[in-house]
Amino acid sequence: MQHTVSKDRYERMRKTGSIHYSMEIKRNLAEMVDKFPDNPQGMNYFYDRYEKFLSGDDTSYQGKKVVASMCIHVPLELIYAVGAVPVRICSGAYSMDQIGTEFLPAKTCPMVKSTLGAIYLDILPGNIDPVLIVNPATCDQKKKMGEMGDELGKPLYLLEVPPTKDTEEARRYWHRVIKKFVKKLESVTGNKITRRSLKRAIKMVAKAQAEYRRFNQIRKTAPVIYGKDAILVTNAYFFDDIERWTQKLSELNDELEKRIEQKVYVGKAHSPRILLTGSPSIFPNVKLPVLIEELGGVVVYEEFCSTSRMIWDTVAVDEWFLYDMIPAVADRYLKPSTCPNFSPNDDRKRKIAKGIEDFKVDGVIYQTFTGCQLYDMESRTVGNFVESLGVSTLFIESDYNPDDFGQLTTRLEAFLDSLKNKK
Amino acid sequence: MKTKISKIRRWVNNGNVSRFRFWIQIIAFILFVYGSYFLIQVGQNLPTFACPYNPGSPGTCFLMSVQHRMHTSFSALFSWRGVGFLTSLLSFVLFFIIFNKAWCGFLCPLGTIQDWITMLRKRLGIRGGQYDEKSFKKLSWIKYVLLALLFLIPLAISNSFFGLPKLSHDLHTPFCQICPARIILPLFSGDTSQLSINFSSTVTIVMSSLAIIILALFFVGSFVKKRFFCFFCPMSALQYLFSKIGILRLTKVGDKCTRCGNCSRVCDMGILSIAEDITSVNVVTDNCMMCFKCVEACPEEDCLNVKVLNFKIFTSTEEGFFKRYNPAGDSKELPSEQSKK
Ligand code: SF4
Ligand code: SF4
Ligand code: SF4
Ligand code: SF4
Repeated sequence: MQHTVSKDRYERMRKTGSIHYSMEIKRNLAEMVDKFPDNPQGMNYFYDRYEKFLSGDDTSYQGKKVVASMCIHVPLELIYAVGAVPVRICSGAYSMDQIGTEFLPAKTCPMVKSTLGAIYLDILPGNIDPVLIVNPATCDQKKKMGEMGDELGKPLYLLEVPPTKDTEEARRYWHRVIKKFVKKLESVTGNKITRRSLKRAIKMVAKAQAEYRRFNQIRKTAPVIYGKDAILVTNAYFFDDIERWTQKLSELNDELEKRIEQKVYVGKAHSPRILLTGSPSIFPNVKLPVLIEELGGVVVYEEFCSTSRMIWDTVAVDEWFLYDMIPAVADRYLKPSTCPNFSPNDDRKRKIAKGIEDFKVDGVIYQTFTGCQLYDMESRTVGNFVESLGVSTLFIESDYNPDDFGQLTTRLEAFLDSLKNKK
Repeated sequence: MKTKISKIRRWVNNGNVSRFRFWIQIIAFILFVYGSYFLIQVGQNLPTFACPYNPGSPGTCFLMSVQHRMHTSFSALFSWRGVGFLTSLLSFVLFFIIFNKAWCGFLCPLGTIQDWITMLRKRLGIRGGQYDEKSFKKLSWIKYVLLALLFLIPLAISNSFFGLPKLSHDLHTPFCQICPARIILPLFSGDTSQLSINFSSTVTIVMSSLAIIILALFFVGSFVKKRFFCFFCPMSALQYLFSKIGILRLTKVGDKCTRCGNCSRVCDMGILSIAEDITSVNVVTDNCMMCFKCVEACPEEDCLNVKVLNFKIFTSTEEGFFKRYNPAGDSKELPSEQSKK
């Protein structure tokens, strides 16, 4: 391993890094759990998973081949089909962000800094030791992050995401990229993708999607769960065993359906219903949703690549053979994506409009991480569009540093009050 | 009452149209290929390839009546013959108003044969050709040209255009001379006489040789590419001219579409606009055969709809999607189902 720092220093960084990291997890989780009375029983599983998994107190991945992924453009079905398990390692930890600051420019997006920091120090969720780290070439920062990874002795595999998704050329290109990715997966795991294994993987993911869609139906019907909990549920999809995750979500859904019957709602009758979008909230960086809900709003829908965008869209296959299944899976990860790296990206506006309508949203809060150029640039078009629908929007620029709590509180309070007055 | 209707709705929306279509196609095939043996007669104006060259056929394909009726002088065309043509056109359109292009998806024997060839290919596990729509879009004009010729050649046999000499009588019913159905369908009744070259004149030699070539293309093409022949079919062109007035409709609510592309993936005609187009309500395009596979593959509630007038008869739903696209085919295994018990 090529170190940019001495071995001693590295070890020290690693030690303090992991202490800070686990403190951060405990603190933020407590913030999310204890401050809210009456959390659904079904959430306990997810709270527990965070504690165990992120702090490395978990053995579920021992002896398994893990393929680490960043971002929603990595086809999970293919990873399952070669007998490996995917773990998404996009990090929301401020402690890791500070590590990344050591070797990335200060103005880099905190998500990129934090993730590379975690990779560098090997402080990955579940103490996994991935056979491959897949880095989709979406934004420029992630592309360059890959090169940094090489320099730090942590090679990342570049998945060549096209800059547009609407043309047939882009689609064909992406199909070829995915074919190459399949080869890579087969070579790092030593297993072949077969018709049966891929079919099973598609089915497994489809079950999770069906359950997640049910979760959304419930959230549309009545405010029975806080957005901060919904974000935890979807974030757990990053690393949890998918079948167990589906099972636990199903149990939670059952409980929430009962809550609908008994009219046990979160928030107050006039709590403003908020749609969150922009740079992704990833645990432990959930200060925005938590703050919103502490101040009396309810987050009813999140248009994030760490939440709905990741699990929603499904795979349909015409011929259940590899020659059709692999392109079908590829299509699913390209065509419906609303990632701002694509141009044009009108689909994102349409998705937000649909979210506003389906979830009866009162206000949209748009989060941009300092340094995240793409979401920043799209905020104007999306904002104007949302305003044209007659829905107010609040833009928040923030990063992983918890210091801006005070300033955020003032702005959020004012926004939520204005929404309440409108109601 | 209301719950009963919604129960029926749910049952239909969870249904498998493709399986239903498979059986309808078989029944229609028997009807249109062997109908006359059951003493069934369906007239001359069927918008399908029910071919009179086949002894079993219960009727006549409209393309043949068109060619016959155009085989007339202008003066006759604009008098009594024209009236005959109009009435036959009217009854064709009537068939058509009801079924729209679903003729192609559900009833046309040539379409059915192509689907069977595809099934055979799948059985053998051979991959189909991956052509993008663009290459076929470029060839879309061919079917319209064939359609125009089918009107014009018979007219040019009986009339002189711009003082040019009239065409040879050997060119009568020119499309029938090259139509693959003329050769294929009689084979199903054990009649091989059409599978030959007609040596009576140069024209017939050329036309019947052309027919054999087209026949070969039909089989090879549809083995490689689903519904290959349909891209060039003049019947499809003729039907599309009237598609707007059909009461059977395929519609889309663009706002609900995530452009996931599932619908265009499964479309046998490779139609991309079904996924990409988010503004049109009527989404029947000229190559569409109204098979409704796209509706089956759409996971968004109410996004794609099959309607008769404005009455929805089949709709895309989440539940239906997961039932159909659950690879094991066992919907009971779905978690959302377990909990509903
Ligand atoms: S396009 Fe022509 S050959 Fe194909 S199904 Fe329709 S009528 Fe039959
Ligand atoms: S040969 Fe073809 S066009 Fe002519 S009547 Fe038969 S099916 Fe119709
Ligand atoms: S399957 Fe449905 S949601 Fe997906 S692109 Fe087609 S119409 Fe749109
Ligand atoms: S667009 Fe739909 S109905 Fe038309 S051919 Fe394609 S799958 Fe069939």
